[in-house]
Amino acid sequence: MFRNILWAGLALTLLATNVTSQEARFSAEPQRSDAATETLLQRFSEHPDHFTQTDGAALYQTTCQACHMEDGEGGAGAGAHPPLARNPKLNSRHFLAGVILTGYHGMPHFGTMMSDEQVAAVTNYVRSHFGNDYPDPITPGEVAHLRPPDDH
Amino acid sequence: MTKMPYTPTRRQLLAMIGQVAGAGAMYQAMTSLGFAAESGYTAEPGLQGPRQGRRVLILGAGIAGMAAAYEMRRAGYEVKILEYQNRHGGRCLTMRGGDRYTEMGGHEITCDFEGDGFFNPGPWRLPVHHRAVFDYCRKLGVPLQPFIIKNNRAFLHSSRAFGGKPQRIGHVEKDMRGHVAELLAKSLHQGGLDEAVSIEDRERLLEGLRDWGVLDRRDRYRASDDVGGVRGWDIHPGGGLMAEKSPSQPIDLSPLLQSGLWDQLFNFNSYTFEAPMFEPVGGMDAITDAFAREVSEVIQFNARVTRIAQGDGGVTVTYADGDQGGMVREEAADWCICTIPLSVLVQLDVDCSDEMRQAIGAVPYASAFKVALEFRRRFWEQDDWIMGGVSYTDLPLVQIAYPNYGFMSDGPAVLQAAYDTATGGRNFTYSWSTMTPQERIDAALAFGRQIHPQYDAEFMSGTSWVWHRVDWSLGCYGQWTDDLRDAHYKTLCEIDNRLVLAGEHCSHIPAWLEGSLLSALDAIKRLDQRENA
Repeated sequence: MFRNILWAGLALTLLATNVTSQEARFSAEPQRSDAATETLLQRFSEHPDHFTQTDGAALYQTTCQACHMEDGEGGAGAGAHPPLARNPKLNSRHFLAGVILTGYHGMPHFGTMMSDEQVAAVTNYVRSHFGNDYPDPITPGEVAHLRPPDDH
Repeated sequence: MTKMPYTPTRRQLLAMIGQVAGAGAMYQAMTSLGFAAESGYTAEPGLQGPRQGRRVLILGAGIAGMAAAYEMRRAGYEVKILEYQNRHGGRCLTMRGGDRYTEMGGHEITCDFEGDGFFNPGPWRLPVHHRAVFDYCRKLGVPLQPFIIKNNRAFLHSSRAFGGKPQRIGHVEKDMRGHVAELLAKSLHQGGLDEAVSIEDRERLLEGLRDWGVLDRRDRYRASDDVGGVRGWDIHPGGGLMAEKSPSQPIDLSPLLQSGLWDQLFNFNSYTFEAPMFEPVGGMDAITDAFAREVSEVIQFNARVTRIAQGDGGVTVTYADGDQGGMVREEAADWCICTIPLSVLVQLDVDCSDEMRQAIGAVPYASAFKVALEFRRRFWEQDDWIMGGVSYTDLPLVQIAYPNYGFMSDGPAVLQAAYDTATGGRNFTYSWSTMTPQERIDAALAFGRQIHPQYDAEFMSGTSWVWHRVDWSLGCYGQWTDDLRDAHYKTLCEIDNRLVLAGEHCSHIPAWLEGSLLSALDAIKRLDQRENA
């Protein structure tokens, strides 16, 4: 969405009737965002209230990656973000999906911003990447049963 | 819990408001319902002091820890602070040219500002009713300057409305007022409010609406010299033989309503963000630097706490001493005031009641981020006549804040070019937090140029901050809900044998310096009472 808005915005700025001299000056030579930037902007959900990505990798890259990092290794210092790579707790698909739904300790919950399908997709992505190779994907139906009663 | 018909709980009420009026209105309502209540500060704590020598160990040299140390030392307690970082101030910090910070994941944040602009990744503005902060600024000699929270010349922007062209805050506000006044006047004329308003009041209301909404003789809100005098001019009144003045044209009601810009206006409506606001001159760290001047000799830096052990006679804290190659050391005291964020504390070995342990583990830490950009010139002032203040947009950068210092000076200046927290209910902050420092700058430029096309020609360098990539806070602030507070807040704040927690997470003003200060002052007051019981 933002990619499209970027171009629509530039075009409309040029067409708008009371374009100021400044806007005209800078819009005359629009700095085109390169392909990498366009890919980057797709990191954002198209809606602020819920995530619009459906793919497990895309969902990971726009939420989990903040703390658990690109490689799933997490990070440590005074406190730690636990690694998802080689983490035996991921043995349970219900545990991981439950943590995503309701949060855990300092980790915020994502249940209200992701559908059952999205929670399942990102759960299955994490359990099949970063060196994890669990054979039992979780279904959206199973995620629905894990939701706390007052979710949605 | 029994639910009476037609009396929704606070949460249901907020959800309803959110659905009907949008997230902005919901946040406003949250404020109304006391989520950001007035500070309870009256005066300094007035501690009695110990009857015999007493040692207090404070964990964390942020504002809560340093304020507790300052007051307890004055009352005669022996105080020591253990701090994990090699700096004081905690989440109250300021970045300037030359600063570097390596965040979790190993990426280095660089700040290469060439001018005197600065960037406050954490707290950055002070509501006047945060009385404890102001009182300590006065006592500790921290000079303050106005922080322009609302500038009618700044922008409200929607990528979906007005062809993406930003609108002036004052125009949106005054046009909404004019249109609402016109509608209300029309309804009064048509008898639509006869049951609600008496005949005498009706006349007074109509008179008031004409002034308030700048209505014409037919009670309509239309372009006129009177409206020009309120919302501004297309051609400003000039001198000599300059062109005749011409009033600006109001935006029609329907596009205004559909644009969503009215919702963005609510950002300025809450008591927390009421003008005037203030900031310390030169950066927010002036406040924590002032506390550090008072207590620096009792701070031990590079001390990573691993265990808090308690017995009836006292408390023993184990820490890794970074100045001694990580050597494990212990520190004993009569009392311990722990200001370590709950997100980190939950990972430490702490002797406390089961209830407190549950409380420590119950509070999620909110996502928050900021990006700051330095530009060659103050184009927002020179081209757009925006002198300080904040612009809002529906783009993921959410807001652009202009510097409230150095007006009209030549040379580089710094914008706070993107900022959001999870409290607003938007998911953008999570996505920003997944990015490398360079990616955050790229995204801030890509979005920001849609509001300020001068970005491309004037950009120099940028910096950023992501609170979930800070290993000593693992997030920005305690993200309380009503249910969590009901279940855990009291337990979290109570003295547990020899241990008491303090910090913004132990307050009803989460994320604000005032919350940290009040929490610390309340905790030491109760410790002092316990000591003297």
